Parts: sequence; structure tokens; C-alpha cells
Amino acid sequence: MSAKNLFLPAAFVRAPLQNGVGRYVCQLQRITFKFCKSHGGSRGLRDFIEQNLVEFAKENPGVVVYMKPRRHRSPVIVGEYLNGDRVWMSVHNKTHDEITKWVEVMRTQQGDVSSSRLRKYQYTDHPSIQGPWTPFTFKIPELNTAQLPDPKFGANNRLPQSATEELRLMFEKQKLNVKEEELKVAE
Amino acid sequence: MSAAKRVQQWATFARTWHVFDCKWQDPYESAHVIKKYLMGLHKPIYHPMNDCGDVVVCINSKDIALRGNEWRKRAYFHHTGYPGGASWTLAWELHNKDPTMIIKKAVYRSMTGNLQRRHTMQRLFIYPEDKVPEDVMQNVTNQIRQIRLVPTRLDHIPEEEVKNFPKIMDYPEDYVLK
Repeated sequence: MSAKNLFLPAAFVRAPLQNGVGRYVCQLQRITFKFCKSHGGSRGLRDFIEQNLVEFAKENPGVVVYMKPRRHRSPVIVGEYLNGDRVWMSVHNKTHDEITKWVEVMRTQQGDVSSSRLRKYQYTDHPSIQGPWTPFTFKIPELNTAQLPDPKFGANNRLPQSATEELRLMFEKQKLNVKEEELKVAE
Repeated sequence: MSAAKRVQQWATFARTWHVFDCKWQDPYESAHVIKKYLMGLHKPIYHPMNDCGDVVVCINSKDIALRGNEWRKRAYFHHTGYPGGASWTLAWELHNKDPTMIIKKAVYRSMTGNLQRRHTMQRLFIYPEDKVPEDVMQNVTNQIRQIRLVPTRLDHIPEEEVKNFPKIMDYPEDYVLK
């Protein structure tokens, strides 16, 4: 199965413009709390609004906070991000603590992260210092000028050699007028 | 993709042409070597889904060497599809008809059976002798090492050298060789 067929689009870990190195730009732009004033499912969100929302807005002046009361509909948090993503999250029947945590997630994440499948848990722009492998790395330079086919490059040079044979070759190499290529190896 | 990265991509996935001398080589052993180069298994970037196979040019395929009595005993099966259409061709018969066929079938058989091997086989060139078209040979930049050592035949050694080779004794004039 190829990755194209999966439902979630594949992505790598990334930080927009090296966010957090030197300065931090909050990626969350707008957050909307939709809730009902009377329904029990919105109880947790109402508690959050009563106890934490003012403090949240004060601490994050870069985030626009909207509230939208609506009758007898389940509570929802919608976040809009700097890169255009829109994250919709149902908080029906969620408790006050859970909602506090989810709002923190919405504030700190950088876009619709959970809708993509991470191909790897690490990423680098420079995977290799010496450069990727090519067919020309570790190539014998002699091959550039060789006239192929040549038994020098084609013959098996890893056959086992007897000690007698090795001694004979060492003796032959000591002779002055013998070139190394002309040495006869035993068959 | 920037120009430098594009060139890097071309360099990494460049196809290399290899030459393999089949002289005195066992086709079934050397098929496993040739297969690696054809499929790109020898590359560190190998992945079944990337197209990184190389081209292999086999020469001297008429000089292959089969083990034992395989020339006489190994049979190649073919069925025409009609009743009574089965035929068994012995290795020596097949080799007489087409000296490239044994090595071709050996390489095809060495790859596991999926449809990709049909396309992989397109990158294998086999020539019965060492005469290769110029446009093929000019691409070759590497040679695959043989598996077996090629022995020198006595009748290929120059007569001068044979005569001067040190001997313990000479046969008498009237000696009859069996």
C-alpha cells in the first residue's frame, strides 16, 4: 500500500520560520467558544469561562477570543491559526479540567497538527554533511580511463590462495623486471 | 526544487551500465550476481519502490560452463497450450538454438516472481560473443567481477611457451600414446 491511499496526509515535523528560536510568535490567532447557557453538556465550558477566560485573554494579547452563546446546542471550541488552518473541537460533556488542557493544546500547537500523519518523528534540512550517495562515490578512479571489458577489473580477485602460491608471488615480485600486472596467478 | 538539488537527484539516481563476461561462468551462480545489479540491490539507496536498477551487458554468453552433466540432463520446459503441446528441450539443444537463452532464463528465474521482473529484464543485454554494438558499449562504465577464475586452455598458450616449459623427461620416439 502506498502512502497516497491513506486518509491522513503525510507530513514532517516542522517549525514555521524557526519559531521559538530567538523569538516566539503565537500561531493561534482567534479562538471561539460556542456554548449553551443552560444545557448540562456545556457545564465544563461555562466553568472555564467563569474562572479562566479573562486570565487567558490577558495572558495572550495576540489571541482574539470570541464567545457565542447558542441555545441547546453542544459546546465547541474553534481555533484559527496563522497558516490558515481551522481546528474544530467538540467539548460536549468535558469537565473544566479537561477543557483547560485542551485550550492549552489549541494555544500552543501550530496549525491543524493532528490531521496529518507524521512520516518520521525527526526532520533535518541537512541529512548529510558529505552529501548523498551517488554511483560515483567510492568508485575506483582507474575505471575512468579503462578500456572495458578488461580481465583486470572483471576477474575474480577474492579466490582463496594457498601459502605456497603467496610465497611464489612474493618471490616473483622481488624480481626487478617483472610488472605486477603480468604476474601469472595459479589457476 | 532548486537547481542544485535537482542535479543531486539526477546524480543519485543515475543509471550505471555494467559489463559482465560470461566466459567459463556458471549461469545459475552468476544470475544471482547479475540480478543484484539489475534490481539495484547493490546500492545503499535501494528501496523496492524506487527505480534504481542498473543496466547489465553480458558478453560471451556462448562460452558459459554448466556443472557436471547438466548440458545433457537439464531440460527446459515449454507448453504451447494445445493438447500434447508440451516439449522438453535439453540445455545443449537450447544453447545450440540460441546461445543467449540459458543465461536469460537463469536471470529471470533468480528474481522472485512478480511482474516487475519483466521490466527489469529489459535492462539486461546479452551477446553471444564479445562483439557488442558501439552505442551499447560506449555507456559501459563498470565491470562486474566474475565468480570463477577463467582457466587458460593449452591450445591457447603460444607454442613457443609450451616448448620451453621445463619437462622431467621426453617420451621416446617409438612411444605410442593411448
